Amino acid sequence: MFLKNHWYVAASLSEVGHTPLRRIVMNEPVVFYRTEDGTPVALEDRCPHRRVPLSMGKLVDDGILQCHYHGLRFDRTGACVRVPGQDLIPPGARVKAYPVVERYKWLWIWMGDPALADPTKITDYHWLDDPDWGARSDYLYAQCNWQLVNDNLLDLTHLAFVHETTIGNMALVEHAAVRVQRTPTGVQVTRWIIDQPAPPAFVKIGGFTGNVDRWQIIDYTPPSFIRLDVGATPTGTGAPEGRRVGGIEMRNLNAMTPETETTTHYFWGQAHDFQPHDAAVTERVFQQIKTAFLEDVSVFTAQQNNIGLDPGAATIDINADSGGIQARRIVERLYADEQALVNAARTAAE
Amino acid sequence: MGLKFRVELVWEDETDNASSMYLTSDGRVVLQGRAISPAERDALALPEGGEMISVDRNLIRAIKEML
Repeated sequence: MFLKNHWYVAASLSEVGHTPLRRIVMNEPVVFYRTEDGTPVALEDRCPHRRVPLSMGKLVDDGILQCHYHGLRFDRTGACVRVPGQDLIPPGARVKAYPVVERYKWLWIWMGDPALADPTKITDYHWLDDPDWGARSDYLYAQCNWQLVNDNLLDLTHLAFVHETTIGNMALVEHAAVRVQRTPTGVQVTRWIIDQPAPPAFVKIGGFTGNVDRWQIIDYTPPSFIRLDVGATPTGTGAPEGRRVGGIEMRNLNAMTPETETTTHYFWGQAHDFQPHDAAVTERVFQQIKTAFLEDVSVFTAQQNNIGLDPGAATIDINADSGGIQARRIVERLYADEQALVNAARTAAE
Repeated sequence: MGLKFRVELVWEDETDNASSMYLTSDGRVVLQGRAISPAERDALALPEGGEMISVDRNLIRAIKEML
C-alpha cells in the first residue's frame, strides 16, 4: 500500500549531482540529476524504447539525459528530444517527470498527481538546517515495509529490549503513563517524567544539579514522518506547561520513503539545541542514536522475513501498540481517500 | 503501589475533543463519565442493578475511531 499524493524524501542533497542517481520509490524507478545551474530533476528511470535505466546513461547537454543503450535523449520535462538515426520522434516517446523540492538538506519528491503537488505541504524538518541547532542526518536501508518503521518509532517500550545496552530503560515498560492523542493531522504519543533525577547523559550535557522534568513526545504526520522531541528542564520551571527554560532539547527526525512493499529508504537525523556549533558534540549525539537505529534495522529485517513466510499469520496487539495502531488507521483512511480520487479520475477519463 | 504501564487515549478533531480513555495493565478500558443517580435511573426507566454512567457522544466517536 502506497500513498502517492504526499511529499517524500528521495535523497540527501549531497547525493544528487551531475551524475545520474537511480533510486526506486514506491516500485517506480527514478533517476535524479542536476542541470548545469544546479536545478534538481527527477525522471522515470526507464527508457520507453527498450526499458533500460536512463541512469546508466549520461548528461550530454544542459539537463539532457542520453540513454546508454541507443542514445535516445530526454530533456528535464521527460520529453524525448532526439532519436539517433531518424528525424521523427515517435508519439509517446517520453518518460514521467516528478515534481521535486530541495528543503532541510533533503530532496523531496511527489509521486502522485503533479497537479496536487503543493510544496507548503512538506512536513517541517527545519531543525536540520536551523543555525540555532546542531544537526546531522543520515540514510539507512531498511529491508521491511515502511509501516513497520512507523510502528517501531511510535512505540517507546521496545527501547528496553532492542536497545537494552544503549538507550533502553525497563521503567518505560513497567511504570509509564503514556498519552496517545489522535489529532486531525496525525498522532502524538507523549510521556512525561516529573521531578526525577536526570539520567547521567543529561547531567553531563545539561549540567543539572537537581531533579528534572523530562519529556518524550513522538509526533506522527502521515504517511511516514515521525519527529521525536526529547529533553529536560530543572523540575518545576514549567516545561509541562510549555515553558522550557534552563534545559536541553533534542529532536530525532525520521522520514521513511517506501522503496517497495518490503523495503524502505529510511532518512533520519538528530538535532540538539545545546552547543549547536560544536561539531564534536553533534557527532557524539548522532553516533549514539545511530548505534541504536542499527539495532532496529536488524529487527525490521527479521520481522519482514517472517512476514514474508506467512503474511496471514495471526498477530496480537498490546497496549504499547496504541500509537502505531492509530497511525495505521490514518493510513488506511488516506489510502481509501486516495483510491477514490484515482478511480474518479479514471472514470472521468473513460 | 507504583504506577503500572498505562495508556491514555485522546481523540480530537478540528472542532471537538473527547474525554480520555485509559488502557490499564490489567486489561481494562477505563472511561470517564458521570454517574447516574438513583433519581435519574428512575426518571429514565433504566434497568436496576449495576453501576451506570453517562458519557459524552464524542467519547463514543472516540471509541469507534480508536479502539
